[in-house]
Amino acid sequence: MKNLTQISEECRKQAFDLNYFGAKKWKSAQKGRVLVGYLPIYFPREIVEAMNGIAVGILGVGDQKQVIKGDAFYQSYICHLPRGVIELALDNNFNDFDGFIFPSICDCVRNLSGMFRITKTGKFSKYLDFPQNFNPLTGGVFYRQELGSVQQEICRINGVLPSVKILNEKIEKYNQNRRFIENIYAIRQEFPWRLSAVDWYCIQRAGLMMTVEEHNAILSDVQTLLEENQGEPLDNIRVVVSGSFCEQPPLGLIKSIEMAGCYIVDDDFILGSRWIQGDIDSKSNDPMNAIVNAYLTQSTFSSALYDVGNPKGARLVELVKNRKADGVIFCAASFCDPALLDRPEMQKSCDEAGIHHINFQFHENTGQFKVIKEQCGTFSDSIKLWA
Amino acid sequence: MNTLLTLGIDVGSNFIKAVLMECGTTKSVILDKHTEKIRKRNPAQLADEMTTHLLEKHNFQYDDLAYLASTGEGDLVIRKRGHFYGMTTHSRGAVYFDSTAKTVVDLGALYVRAIRVNPQAKVLDYKMTGQCASGSGQFLENISRYLGLSIDEVGDISLRSTKPEVSSGICAVLAETDVINMVSRGITTPDIIKGIHLSIANRIIKLLSALKAESPVFLTGGMALNKGLIQAIQESLQETKKNFIIKTNPDAIYAGAIGAALWGAYRYHKLKQGKVMAKVVA
Repeated sequence: MKNLTQISEECRKQAFDLNYFGAKKWKSAQKGRVLVGYLPIYFPREIVEAMNGIAVGILGVGDQKQVIKGDAFYQSYICHLPRGVIELALDNNFNDFDGFIFPSICDCVRNLSGMFRITKTGKFSKYLDFPQNFNPLTGGVFYRQELGSVQQEICRINGVLPSVKILNEKIEKYNQNRRFIENIYAIRQEFPWRLSAVDWYCIQRAGLMMTVEEHNAILSDVQTLLEENQGEPLDNIRVVVSGSFCEQPPLGLIKSIEMAGCYIVDDDFILGSRWIQGDIDSKSNDPMNAIVNAYLTQSTFSSALYDVGNPKGARLVELVKNRKADGVIFCAASFCDPALLDRPEMQKSCDEAGIHHINFQFHENTGQFKVIKEQCGTFSDSIKLWA
Repeated sequence: MNTLLTLGIDVGSNFIKAVLMECGTTKSVILDKHTEKIRKRNPAQLADEMTTHLLEKHNFQYDDLAYLASTGEGDLVIRKRGHFYGMTTHSRGAVYFDSTAKTVVDLGALYVRAIRVNPQAKVLDYKMTGQCASGSGQFLENISRYLGLSIDEVGDISLRSTKPEVSSGICAVLAETDVINMVSRGITTPDIIKGIHLSIANRIIKLLSALKAESPVFLTGGMALNKGLIQAIQESLQETKKNFIIKTNPDAIYAGAIGAALWGAYRYHKLKQGKVMAKVVA
């Protein structure tokens, strides 16, 4: 078994591969395989895998690629993620991709789906509208139709028809995947020094570039390694990072938070992999219905989700308490309307619960972290010394 | 045993400062202190060697330390128990030297920071110089090198000035150009140095005004021992009719490391208390 450093290094390479070599190699190994790219936050990837494909997570270009053409597509007040994604499309990084899914999260991503159509990137571009009505007879039926149209698109490409048995198998694999991820979060909650937040982020993000079976094998090794006692704890505070669910923070930012004396015990960086809380029924005669029901009843909280019955502020407070965190760092991408509009309400919930918090914004290509380190350092000190 | 052995390490951009302290409930004393200029050495390795050196010198083992605290570039301190931010440690160090201090000015290599503190050394507010390094120790060191002086002698040389020539206080590049022009115009070295000191002093006074600082003001960091700079600050204060008492200490360069060591002792007690509380609750 490889050690944690080796695993995280390999995952880092895969996670940030803007040419998607791993996924393309997988596709080229067998005829009839499909690659479907999807944007944040969530898409039930098991549907694509059950039809001989991989749903590849597209999380922008970070600080790896200079965006030139992409800037011409978006106004200055739009976040950085879609600019980088259209730049990748125009530079042919998505060659070999068969289709793209744009989950309804904000206007920018919706517009991006139109741009992919105009630029004829991939064989299909699907703007996936998620239900905001959680009644199974309305929102449920609608959502099922939306997912069905994705299945039809894939079937048109490779002729594979959805099978109950295979979809149930894939649902079970993704159940395992979520269990591994939650177990590792639980271990990191108790022993955050055993695996840095940066390494853990890379390991999770790499999962969006490969089959669930491959990722489960990696997660299984990571869990085993983390169960061994190792390293010494630092006198750091424990924080939950909230607001980075779409455009991803640069690794330097995550590292800066940790270096400033904060253990990140929970976050929403790769939220899509943890969207469904708990298992989805994998023994159903109607697995599509199980996936739909899971979305309606087991979704986590997020700015992209209508939540009047179960407000996200209260759920964030609950998460902080469960993780025994000392505070919350609200860390949203600049111009990310969903995160920034939700922030005041979530801050209010934190204030009412006596939870300390700070906030700042980032771009995926932010290169200077001095001010952020300063903010996190003083936040950490204020909690350690005066809370 | 009522005292705790703690070690504070302040990793700056030019120097690493380490202080070994015996911290009691009523009084804490410095057992030893050590400074090393980083030069081209590996700072992480150097910081570790300094830790070992101080401990061995006093026949202590690493395990005898209740808390090894870092400040500054703390990720370079391998065996640390915890890290404290520079502003927090300099405030604590200043209050250790002078319990009446109400404002602390950290005169660092890359920036100057004015901090308002309460008697417990809690940071109440702060202001710091912006992007440009023209008000910093590194800038002063560069200029002294151009003029063929060692950084230790610039203070005394500045005191010999009769007609200081003030340089740009906004931009280090412009200030360096100013100095080249001054040299070519035959301005004497003491007048050039004094002019730079006055320029830095003016930036400090602007920070103090913006902060609505209260007296006494305690200077910490590498430049706090520079007699020429202190004289320039006093003169600028008189000129601007500001009535601040300026204080410092021969060990002011260690303020960050001392603050880290003291906060380390505080955290040790707090964590121990927390564990006891957790047991009681369980």
